[in-house]
Amino acid sequence: MVFRRARDARDAGLALVPQHDLLIGAASVGDNLAFLDPAAPFFESAAARRARVTRLAQTFSFELGGADTRVDTLPVGTRQRIEIAGALAGDPEVLILDEPTAVLSPDETEALFASLRARADAGGAVVLITHRLGEVFAGADRLTLLARGKTVKTCRVSETTPEEIGGLLIAGAEGDREETDRKREKDKILSEGGEDIHPSKHAARSAANRPAAKLELTGFAPHQSRGVRTEGISLSLSHGELLVLLAIDGNGADTIARAIAGLEPFEGGVAIGGVRLPGRGDPLAFRAAGGAFVPADRREEGLVAALSLSENLALPDPPGRPFLDRRAMLAHAESRLAALGVRASSTAAAAGSLSGGNQQKVVLARELVRPPSLLVAIHPTRGLDLGSAAAVRRLILEACRMGAAALVVTADPDEAQLFDAPIRVVTRGRVSAPCEPATPVAALGRLMAGISA
Amino acid sequence: MREPFARRLAVAAVAFSVAAGVLVGLAFLAGASPVEALRALAEGAAGSRAALGETAARATALVLTAMGASLAFRAGVLNIGLEGQFLAGAVAVAAIGPSISGSPFVGRVALLGAAALAGALWVLPAAWLEARRGVPEVLSTILLNLVAAAAVSGLVRGALQDPAGDYPQSRALAEAVRLPPLVTGSRATAAILIALALAVLTALVLERTPLGLKLRATGLAPAAARAIGLPGARLRLLAFAASGALAGLAGGLEVLAVTGRLYDPFSAGAGYTGIAAALLGGSHPLAAAASAVLFAGLGAGSSAMQRDTGVPGALATIVPGVLVLAVLAARARQAGSAP
Repeated sequence: MVFRRARDARDAGLALVPQHDLLIGAASVGDNLAFLDPAAPFFESAAARRARVTRLAQTFSFELGGADTRVDTLPVGTRQRIEIAGALAGDPEVLILDEPTAVLSPDETEALFASLRARADAGGAVVLITHRLGEVFAGADRLTLLARGKTVKTCRVSETTPEEIGGLLIAGAEGDREETDRKREKDKILSEGGEDIHPSKHAARSAANRPAAKLELTGFAPHQSRGVRTEGISLSLSHGELLVLLAIDGNGADTIARAIAGLEPFEGGVAIGGVRLPGRGDPLAFRAAGGAFVPADRREEGLVAALSLSENLALPDPPGRPFLDRRAMLAHAESRLAALGVRASSTAAAAGSLSGGNQQKVVLARELVRPPSLLVAIHPTRGLDLGSAAAVRRLILEACRMGAAALVVTADPDEAQLFDAPIRVVTRGRVSAPCEPATPVAALGRLMAGISA
Repeated sequence: MREPFARRLAVAAVAFSVAAGVLVGLAFLAGASPVEALRALAEGAAGSRAALGETAARATALVLTAMGASLAFRAGVLNIGLEGQFLAGAVAVAAIGPSISGSPFVGRVALLGAAALAGALWVLPAAWLEARRGVPEVLSTILLNLVAAAAVSGLVRGALQDPAGDYPQSRALAEAVRLPPLVTGSRATAAILIALALAVLTALVLERTPLGLKLRATGLAPAAARAIGLPGARLRLLAFAASGALAGLAGGLEVLAVTGRLYDPFSAGAGYTGIAAALLGGSHPLAAAASAVLFAGLGAGSSAMQRDTGVPGALATIVPGVLVLAVLAARARQAGSAP
């Protein structure tokens, strides 16, 4: 069967609930549900549209908001339920849900799964796409594990265990890295190198002449309009302290880091070196307070790909008055790049022409030009070769040794251990208590997958 | 990504031949000898002191609006409302100019300052709507063009109407205040020198100053600029205002140097042609200024062509459009580059 457009699939009995709802924000709940209902007549009275909302809300016991409410005024959770109710309204033979629970509360999730289970028991097919192992073992009959576009395992849920799947999941996330090399490196850091690199020991030495609490979160949560619902976080990092947030993608760790860096709005308090940041999200305030940031997407957010290396390294405050001091920019770029071992044909090369590892080093060269109070780094070594990854970690640890607090987000438990610092696991927007860096990978994996005990 | 210079030159050459070919073809269709038509066009644009003066007089407004467009586009601000800002500047000079007495130099400086300010103020609603409400500036600035045109139409029939006549026009500026010709027998005034100086200044600011680097970074990669900690909102506002001021100055100089008063309809589309010149020049100030002078020459030449050969001058106004389309198509083939 060939589907040329979405409508063909719908007519064939397929319905999709997308991860981010595709509702029309400026239209009412009643109108949106009418659009989603293949059986809706061409002309329909307002009363009939309202009746559909009531009927769907009752059938699936969903709170769908008022029929006349504009959808863009509703919380994300409600919009998700409208999308699900709309998909179910056509009574499809196959229902596909892509990460439906990211924005739902635990109660709502339970209600959703109950209705999905009932549907399956009544003979309908349900395909659930999820990062969350708990959801798979809570109700699925069969599972297929995908990693990097390849099927890793297909089996009946009753024939496997959360531990087995969790292990495969984490192995998949690590991808093509060479496990043995990484283990060796890790052992080295944990044994001999640990003495020199461990940040908090050095921090203790210079504690006397530095102010306290580089990062203080109080009841902090990214605004709930930004993806995953997050519980209020309260923690504090002092100078030289490093914290690793370990999470499978989609659990909210990226958003937490981005909100601290001022790129997303948040609720609660963030203070860097005692300076409170505004909740609307203000990257300038973050930087003024001494923050430095390494984004997950270095090509989009880390660098201006079309500008040269020397221009990138001169931002955000290029030297010279009134005219750019090109000579100073080149000298600065050459010394920074040499110090970080970046191989580039010239400092006039466009930043976009560099390899990923070198791009990341350029980002760090810019961010660490002045010792920051707080360094926030999201997946700093993702997609890098082993040598570059080690160099990037060294730079982050070096910054901590100079007195910075650091928050590193990663999805890789081995990587998390390499920082030799406390690890907190983020699942479904909830941040765990700190784990020892030496916590076994298998245990971290279970926490990441949301399997209790 | 910046195009290499040689490739930009090649694109310009190809586009120009296409446009010339189109013009010749159109002249042929209009029943004239294409050779005669082209000669009349060339002579009308640059064949004599008077022709050069006409081209220079027309180039002033186009160069300045092209600078406004280039500056805005490079900073990622799509200000399509240069026409409205041009009119705002013209209104400012036409409103204040007739009551100016005393030193002509001080008066001219004050008038041009008022014109630039009026242009900057006219773009502010669009800047505010974009920053606070996320209204796309392409829509708001183009709508402000319509408001400005209607305001000019109303003003020259109302508050600014010359009491000495029934025409929809404002009072004339005193001869002493108006800019005199640079040389006798030419319409060229110091205005073209001001425009060219500002083109060089715009190029210097964009390419050679810290501010220009920040503006370009914001335009090239807004997400990176924000994450790096560039004051994106402030830079955008600055680009809006500077671009509006340049267009306002263009309108002010048009009254001060060319027309001496405001009438309705006032503009022959200087704001839109300036955008075309910026697009043709890849938003590089000097290339855009050259394009603007080229368009001014085409305009002056086409009037002469109509007079001498009977080929409708409107045909030559097709050329800028064809040129811009040809250049955009050539660039689109190379890569998805920004305006």
